[in-house]
Amino acid sequence: MAIALFATRLLAGDGGPAGTITGRVRWAGSAADLSSFVIWVDDIEGRFVAPRQPAAMNQKGLRFVPHVLAIQVGTTVVFPNADPVWHNVFSISEAKRFNLGMFGRGTIRQMTFDKPGVVELLCNVHLEMDAYIVVVKNPYFAQTNSNGTYQIAGVPAGRHRLRCWHERLTFQEQDVDVPENGSVTVDFVAPK
Amino acid sequence: MNNSVRFRFVIRATLILLAFVISESTAHAVPAFARKYQTSCQTCHIVFPKLNAFGEAFRLRGYRMPGETEEMVKQPPVSLGAPAYKKLWPQAVWPGEISSAVPLAVNVKMAAVNTSSVNDDGSVSRVRNDLQLPQEVNIFGAGTLGEHVSYFSEVTFGENADGSVAVELEHARIQFDSPFGPEDLFHFRVGKFAPNLVDGFQEMWIATNAGIDSLFDFNPIGVHGGTGLGADALSPNAIALPARIRGIEGYGIINHRAMWVAGLANGVTAPPGDTTGRFDGNNAKDVYARFDYKIGGMGLDGDTGGQPIPDKNWRDNSLRVGAFAYRGDASGIPFALETADGAQVIEDSHFMRTGFYASVFYQDLNVFGVYLRGTDALNTTDAATGALLHAIEPDYHAWFTQADYMIYPWLQASGRYETVTPADQAVQSIRIGTLNLSALVRANVKAMVEYQRDLRQGDNHSLNVLLRFAF
Repeated sequence: MAIALFATRLLAGDGGPAGTITGRVRWAGSAADLSSFVIWVDDIEGRFVAPRQPAAMNQKGLRFVPHVLAIQVGTTVVFPNADPVWHNVFSISEAKRFNLGMFGRGTIRQMTFDKPGVVELLCNVHLEMDAYIVVVKNPYFAQTNSNGTYQIAGVPAGRHRLRCWHERLTFQEQDVDVPENGSVTVDFVAPK
Repeated sequence: MNNSVRFRFVIRATLILLAFVISESTAHAVPAFARKYQTSCQTCHIVFPKLNAFGEAFRLRGYRMPGETEEMVKQPPVSLGAPAYKKLWPQAVWPGEISSAVPLAVNVKMAAVNTSSVNDDGSVSRVRNDLQLPQEVNIFGAGTLGEHVSYFSEVTFGENADGSVAVELEHARIQFDSPFGPEDLFHFRVGKFAPNLVDGFQEMWIATNAGIDSLFDFNPIGVHGGTGLGADALSPNAIALPARIRGIEGYGIINHRAMWVAGLANGVTAPPGDTTGRFDGNNAKDVYARFDYKIGGMGLDGDTGGQPIPDKNWRDNSLRVGAFAYRGDASGIPFALETADGAQVIEDSHFMRTGFYASVFYQDLNVFGVYLRGTDALNTTDAATGALLHAIEPDYHAWFTQADYMIYPWLQASGRYETVTPADQAVQSIRIGTLNLSALVRANVKAMVEYQRDLRQGDNHSLNVLLRFAF
């Protein structure tokens, strides 16, 4: 994935000085799940080649797995049904409205996400199932791990606007000065 | 029986009917399953308690989802023995499981009751906006105990007008699921339960608040056969078609599409004043059987044959037909009768209830119904002398048809017509119409408006607004 991202940036002509943004997200006063934040650099425009390798949003155990999936615009996502029951995947989000219909175990359907934004997934058989696909317009994004830490490498040096998303938050933003090499740390504290 | 006696019977029976409209219903949405699988009520229910095809398969499979995997169960059970102990049996106890969370659920029903009923003297009594808050509370316990055992229990608390509480143990059963043979071919249940004899039209599975009294509440006891409803007023265990039994039942699914049922029940309970403490009114048992076949839609065990299923959880384009029979023995159980000729005793030495069931689902519409024929062997004796006055074998028949239509995923309209033609030909048939609009405020909160009317006597009607919630 890292090589693909680097190649993407080269093809985009982004061969200049670049640094790394690292950081940590935490909830104010809580140790709740920290793995569902997506952070991206919001103000880098350009034409970036989407990864050829599709991403996967599974249906397993009457859940979407993972609950949050961050992808670059233009990425194809496959939806394999690993459950012994029928599922449906659809979304009414502005970023992508679609309905994959009903499909049973072993069937894989797919969708290409060609517009940046947040896409909320639902299943009309199991109303409690939901998930999010965060579609970012460039390759400079990351999803936090279980500790809430993240790292975005190869970010062109300069001043940028960093955006943090979680399903229970409105967007949080911070400005960051990315060095020509090395890293810079930006932490977010999400209000509970 | 002279005409005045018959007339009083009819009126009394109608009043009892309306009372049952108000008070007798059972909800069987079980939030314990929602917690176990962390899934919405809508996975199994159309508008609770009515089950969709998947929910019916879940129920028939002993509260297991078709093809259930461990990942689907979000509350891992507590092991009562490692699986390896199966190899040690009989030198060790066979291992089992219980749920890690207490599998209880609560259902609350509240009602604003409006009724109009004709009294014996022809006057009309009216009740306006009686806020029965709450009317009843049900506590359920249900789930599985390992691979081959499941259970269901229900206790109902009903508040009386004087503030006292009536408690009834409505269900308590254990079930052994596929203990041998192909999966779902044989299930075996013991306890007090709604028998699969009446699957699809017993009160716990229908969308209306009022049960189908024409089938379950007809009173066949009468000098010339039955004249009306209100069987429960004469016997704690209805002598028409039983809504619940104490007994043993086997049932199974054959080749995804056919269902067989065979059972044995205690039958009519001991009469009031019996001091033996027995549950069964006599030493004879009732027996019953049913056979169904489903064409189209999801199989009765949840099998879809790899075919796509509709994109709405209530849709299941299909036809299901069934035939059933119940043979009861109430010999030796006296039913007291006051007549113009004095006190008499009627015994129903044996009775048969046979019928057909059909249910069609097409898109957003479900139309279903039952035709039932009842035959009783009634011996009437003089209460004082015991002399046999007469013996007859009268027939009655009853049928209903109901249509449920989904307007929106949260809004369903229902209409039902039911009728009973008593054996006593001097008495008019009973005809009842019911209209219901049910709205899911949430998946587990339901509001209903229900209107029921005696189509023979317009002053016998009720309009109730109900609120139900389960958690």
